[in-house]
Amino acid sequence: MTSTLAAPPQTRQVVVRAARNAFAGTPGRLRLAGIATVLACLVFGLFAFVAATTRANALANARADAAQLVRVQSIRTNLVFADANLTNAFLVGGLEPPSARAAYEQGIATASKTLADAANDSTADAKVLGNVNQVITRYTGLVESARANNRLGYPLGAAYLRQATNLLRSDALPPLAALGQTEQARVNHAYSDSAGATAWLVAGLVIALVVLLVTQVWLSVRTRRTFNPPLVIATALVLVIGVAVAGVLAWSQGKAKDTRGGAYFATLGLATARIDAFDAKSAESLALIARGQGQAYNASFDNLSANVSAVLDDAARRGGADEKAAQERFRDYLAVHARVRAADDGGHWDDAVKLATGQANTVFQNFSDASGTALDRRSAQLRHNLSSARSPLPAFAWIGLIAGVAAAIAAGLGVAPRLREYR
Amino acid sequence: MRRVILGVLAAAVLVAGCGAGSTPQLPRVAPSSSSPAPSSSAPPAPGCDDNIYKSRVASYAPGASWADSATVAKIKSRGVLRAGVAADNLLFGHRNPITGVIEGFDIDVANEVAKAIFGTASGHVEYVVENFAQRIPDLQSGKVDIVADIMTINCARWGQIAFSTVYFQAGQQVLVRKNAPYKNIADLNGRKVCTAKGSTGNENVKSLYPQVRRVIVDNISDCMVLFQQGSVEGIVSDNTVLNGFAAQDPYAQIVGPKFTNEPYGLGFNKANVDFVRYVNALLAKWLDPKDGTWAAIYHKWLPGPLPNPPSTNFDRPLP
Repeated sequence: MTSTLAAPPQTRQVVVRAARNAFAGTPGRLRLAGIATVLACLVFGLFAFVAATTRANALANARADAAQLVRVQSIRTNLVFADANLTNAFLVGGLEPPSARAAYEQGIATASKTLADAANDSTADAKVLGNVNQVITRYTGLVESARANNRLGYPLGAAYLRQATNLLRSDALPPLAALGQTEQARVNHAYSDSAGATAWLVAGLVIALVVLLVTQVWLSVRTRRTFNPPLVIATALVLVIGVAVAGVLAWSQGKAKDTRGGAYFATLGLATARIDAFDAKSAESLALIARGQGQAYNASFDNLSANVSAVLDDAARRGGADEKAAQERFRDYLAVHARVRAADDGGHWDDAVKLATGQANTVFQNFSDASGTALDRRSAQLRHNLSSARSPLPAFAWIGLIAGVAAAIAAGLGVAPRLREYR
Repeated sequence: MRRVILGVLAAAVLVAGCGAGSTPQLPRVAPSSSSPAPSSSAPPAPGCDDNIYKSRVASYAPGASWADSATVAKIKSRGVLRAGVAADNLLFGHRNPITGVIEGFDIDVANEVAKAIFGTASGHVEYVVENFAQRIPDLQSGKVDIVADIMTINCARWGQIAFSTVYFQAGQQVLVRKNAPYKNIADLNGRKVCTAKGSTGNENVKSLYPQVRRVIVDNISDCMVLFQQGSVEGIVSDNTVLNGFAAQDPYAQIVGPKFTNEPYGLGFNKANVDFVRYVNALLAKWLDPKDGTWAAIYHKWLPGPLPNPPSTNFDRPLP
């Protein structure tokens, strides 16, 4: 069985002897040194290429995942925005204000469009998003039934509204929240891939420099020449390009890290704050609709608004004027909300409704505008920063590879003449 | 991210009767009171017998000192009467979607009580919207002073709360689709029928028609949504509720005879006997055709000729 694979004993001895001769004595060692330096330079080039490419791909993934995360958050935001307008319009009584209807339509339309974009962009998310899309269809169906009944003056409309808004909260928002978590994990994963890239470069650089330096020291001892110019050139090339690629990697990593602590964190925070704020606005309306039985909604409002305040306080501390504006506008809204609750708890339901459908809407709109502006800016900054952190990397991957090949050629040219001296 | 979904909105739909039934997707129901729902297992009031009508509906006599009520004095000093009402029952208590105002037969009765206490109802009634299962816990906790929400008087409930004398006579029936082959509730054996948690309708179907598969929801109006979506074949409730549903859906009809007798009383906290006596004195006056208050409310909300008003019964011994 082995006879066909293993060389016959005689042949094997010949080969072994030839090999031993090839690497025996000074010429043999020279030959070995030549091969080692060429390989080491090629390894450097390859590893530099892999390092920069890995980083570039990781950052591209981080950017795509972050974009998908922003989209998923935007779907949630638009759904709770639509629902907040719907429930508030219902509270007004009578025909809904055209502006509230338009806002509802716009929220649903934007959510649906963003959902389609997000599903196209990620096959992994498409199934969840498809299910959410079905829920949105059922939700809008229930809303239309609520409307049709309302128009006829039937109290059954209230039951349909309750079904709709509960359906959204039970079947659409939780899977989207889970998807948001998944996207965040993907961004984190991309970041750790990105951090791993430097190890490749360092390994390539160390291997190449050690082999080149050991070879040169050995050559200068063996020969009368202190320096071997081609090998010096190869070493310089590896060192300069290695340091350059390392510099670019460090710069891009620094930039990506800053982005994560800055624009990414801020985008995530603002998106969360907006979702919870719209949800809270719905809870304010639902508590009044429940009329005397709104404790659960009020508790929910308190939880949600505490989240919003915590996130906005943090964002305002880290961020700029946009975040501070959003924080202040939300405080304005909370002040009006406190008056809504005081009126309702004091038995003045009509006054509470008047506030909740009037002044509360005005100040909430200001918050919505301010936080929307802040979110748009931060999200644009996020895209821009991750793109610019990535942009020089592909070029430097090729520069590293070409430098490795060039250094290998130089190393070969440096060792070959010494070897010829022994012929 | 600490997402706080309105967790309390979790589905509370039960399919009873036939254990293997599939749970319908809808409804996700509104938050319900955390207090335990009353059930038929609550011990009935001693000496009360549901099978003897007079024993069941007897309330406290107004007596000569009825107007001298400490509870009324408390309500007066507070400035508002807290009334537990329905907001989804078209004829008896509903929120008018066009005006946003809560109105109906029961609302008018509650308003008359407030008018008697304050001189005018305007600004003196705080409506607390309740589903059926919330009525008794809210009376027991003192959250509301009075419940005016098509509440059937029975002995189990007399064990938990107090009732006024009867102010309306209803009965239970079943609502089905117009083209459906069902002529009465017995035809719905093995079919899904919707009832509301904490309602006598639910208890009656359970004991009288155990073969019917009950789908139990928190709010009776959720039954109508399930019915219109085709998830249930019928709805069992008081004819007062079903008439309101039929008025909102031309494809629905009430079939079969009334299979129960549902005398309605206003609900009170068990301890507020003085308040019950106060309101009983008012009801005795309103039900009298010579006063005409009851007749006016009836004509305002219900079609058809005026029936005889329910007769008062004040034979319950004071505790």
